[in-house]
Amino acid sequence: MKRTSWFHLYKMLIRTSIRSRMQYKFNFIMASVLAALIQISEFLMVALVLHRFGAIKGWSLHEIGYLFAIMTLSKTLYRTFGNEVHHLEKYLVNGELDQLLTRPMPVLLALLPQNFRIMAGEVLQGGFILCWSLAGMMYSGQIGWIAIPFSLLIILTGAVILFSIGLATATLGFWTTRIEELQTITEDAARTAAQYPLTLYPKWMSGILLTVIPVGFVNYIPSLYLLRGEGGAWVLVAVAAVAVLSLAASLRFWQFGLTKYQSTGS
Amino acid sequence: MNMITARHLQKEFKTPVIREGRFSGLRTLFSRETVSKEAVRDISFDIGPGEFVGYIGPNGAGKSTTIKMLTGILHPTSGEVRLDGMNPHQDRRRTVGRLGVVFGQRSQLWWDLPVKDSYDILAEMYGVRTEDKKKRLSQFAELLDLESFWATPVRKLSLGQRMRADLAASMLHDPELLFLDEPTIGLDVNAKRNIRQFLRTLNEEFGKTILLTTHDMDDIEQLCSRVMVINHGQLTYDGSIPSLRDTIGLPTLIRVTYRGSYLMPDTIPTAIQITGVEGQIVTVEVNRKEWSTMDILKQLEQWGEIEDVEMKEPDFEDIIHRVY
Repeated sequence: MKRTSWFHLYKMLIRTSIRSRMQYKFNFIMASVLAALIQISEFLMVALVLHRFGAIKGWSLHEIGYLFAIMTLSKTLYRTFGNEVHHLEKYLVNGELDQLLTRPMPVLLALLPQNFRIMAGEVLQGGFILCWSLAGMMYSGQIGWIAIPFSLLIILTGAVILFSIGLATATLGFWTTRIEELQTITEDAARTAAQYPLTLYPKWMSGILLTVIPVGFVNYIPSLYLLRGEGGAWVLVAVAAVAVLSLAASLRFWQFGLTKYQSTGS
Repeated sequence: MNMITARHLQKEFKTPVIREGRFSGLRTLFSRETVSKEAVRDISFDIGPGEFVGYIGPNGAGKSTTIKMLTGILHPTSGEVRLDGMNPHQDRRRTVGRLGVVFGQRSQLWWDLPVKDSYDILAEMYGVRTEDKKKRLSQFAELLDLESFWATPVRKLSLGQRMRADLAASMLHDPELLFLDEPTIGLDVNAKRNIRQFLRTLNEEFGKTILLTTHDMDDIEQLCSRVMVINHGQLTYDGSIPSLRDTIGLPTLIRVTYRGSYLMPDTIPTAIQITGVEGQIVTVEVNRKEWSTMDILKQLEQWGEIEDVEMKEPDFEDIIHRVY
């Protein structure tokens, strides 16, 4: 018996996933091109909105671009490594989770590398807007160089928070089987809302976006400190703490949910 | 030490009542109405090392649910499972690392990759040394004739080939305990024979403990030393096949052709039932639990001179039909 590290197994499963995907080269290329096109059109939409309205409630064009870019990049990071969590319904409906449960490794570790893909379109789009926003704000002296490493850190904590929300939502599927509609609310709608400053929304709504579905901690709260100097460095520590806590809570919930898995009739 | 111990296994499925119309998913989520179904009720059994047990029952009786509870996929509502002393629900990873599991309905191989690639991945996953992997695969390749489709992507295999590939995959880490859920489903006679031969070798030569579910009574008859019957979630029989025959006491059919004339007595022993009279041929059903064959033949001989006797034992299908 030899012991293989989880990380090694994970890498191997990702390689396997890419190789499987390459079996359908045409489909692979088409999907990549389409994803890039969708990203470009989405970007044009946002650019148009920003161009027309300029500043929103005291948030400058660059600041809003920054919120948008952080959200896009965090989501991209989450979906690159945790995409199957978002597609758990498929595994619940046809009982595919059975196979993963018979493997001698953590279920998430077996699940996540499935259908791994590199989201080049999203990275380019988000990266471009991020650079443009940062450059604009640095030029005007609003922020310093230190914002760059902090931004990378924020993208990472944001991805962790989005992953936790996605995992917790998916886990509800162990009771309901169908989760797509719920995901539309907790993932898509919440994320889209947080692409703009939360001050835009009524109190109850921004309250929800900072507690039940803490997407506000992905981009808005860290930006308050990083771009506008509100609060202190402790804001970033708090954001990291929120990320760690959400992750721990959603993992526990996931473990509990697994014991409620119902599979399908033979 | 038992290989499998199941104690008072119970599984109740609760499904929310599905709402119709708009936002049905959301409304279902927040509704408290559920329908519950007891799929498995108070099942207990022990399986010792080297046993080959058939687990049968009609569709929806709870076979798959039981197997999924045993293999750690489903958590029982109550009750306990031990596999070779380990608890598959509290210690899933360690336990399943020492099981072989095959579901006839779905493959555990990587659909788009050549068969041999799946073995490489599984070997890594189960921590199988390269030399062990090579040794076992060459053994399986011979027993299951894998080489002809070694480099074919799994999705292009025939059902028979895929089952063989899956069986080899489940044995790659050399588990002592093997769970097979309908491994011969949908296969032709040849493929079935091939797979049965392999399973027999695993059990007889390598001493593996095997639990098998199937709808094919030939599987049971040819392979299993013991059979468990589940119906409506409960074990209705657990024992050997011969004693299953005895328990049910299906009648043996005897066809007697008389030479010349014969005369049936007015009072016929209750153990004998005449089911057909056609000229010289009389067909009777006999309960063999009450009468031995010799006694019956002696009785029939008194009726006239016998030219020919033909006996038909109840076949296994009939027996099972009775148990269900």
